[in-house]
Amino acid sequence: MVERIEDLNLPNAVIARLIKESLPESASVSKEARAAIARAASVFAIFVTSSSTALAHKQNHKTITAKDILQTLGELDFESFVPSLTQDLEVYRKMVKEKKEIKASKKDTSTTENANASTTAPTEEATNE
Amino acid sequence: MVEPKAQAPVERPPNAETVLPLSRVRTIMKSSMDTGLITNEVLFLMTKCTELFVRHLAGEAYSEAFGQKTGEALKYEHLSQLVNKRKSLEFLLQIVPVKIRVHEFQEMLRLNRSAGSDDDDSESGSESDE
Repeated sequence: MVERIEDLNLPNAVIARLIKESLPESASVSKEARAAIARAASVFAIFVTSSSTALAHKQNHKTITAKDILQTLGELDFESFVPSLTQDLEVYRKMVKEKKEIKASKKDTSTTENANASTTAPTEEATNE
Repeated sequence: MVEPKAQAPVERPPNAETVLPLSRVRTIMKSSMDTGLITNEVLFLMTKCTELFVRHLAGEAYSEAFGQKTGEALKYEHLSQLVNKRKSLEFLLQIVPVKIRVHEFQEMLRLNRSAGSDDDDSESGSESDE
């Protein structure tokens, strides 16, 4: 599944940004420290995934659910993550639901006005300057 | 239809955006042997939680080393020290090992041998990548 080991690395720039955000003003991070954090993050993801999978299997589920992950985090001593993740998940679920509804409502209208709509060609770049 | 969006930005408001790429996190999750199907929701949660972990690890290592001081430089050894200290970070012991010097390692080997135990499986290697 993984062709190259680099496929398991998380993008440097994003990691650097996340680190920066979590440190006080004007603090810096050595390259080696950043690389170590990136590596640790990948391993963390694998660790949580396999622990959650084990938990799901124990409950005779084939696939892991959000609940499995949250419970696993608690067991692995990262329960401090759970409240904010729960909130994020709520927002995410709401977003997915809204998207679905928008899609559904679009389908309704598009069947009636299918003929005249949706032919707006993107020619903006040509008009600019 | 007006959707009420964007409340006042608090410390870190809950949101459905991720900064880490979902596809990469999926690849990482799949690399763990028996991971079955990964739903979008689970993928989202794992990505978020990995982001949190990065913040957590960096922040903890910094405050452990420097407390409230600003403007310090976070280095590798601050991370390995934290990993060595925290039970919850035990799974990183081999990923972020405490670096030792070659002569320290040799000394360790010597002590190990003279201690009479003939188990040679405690190799921790002080290699440096990069």
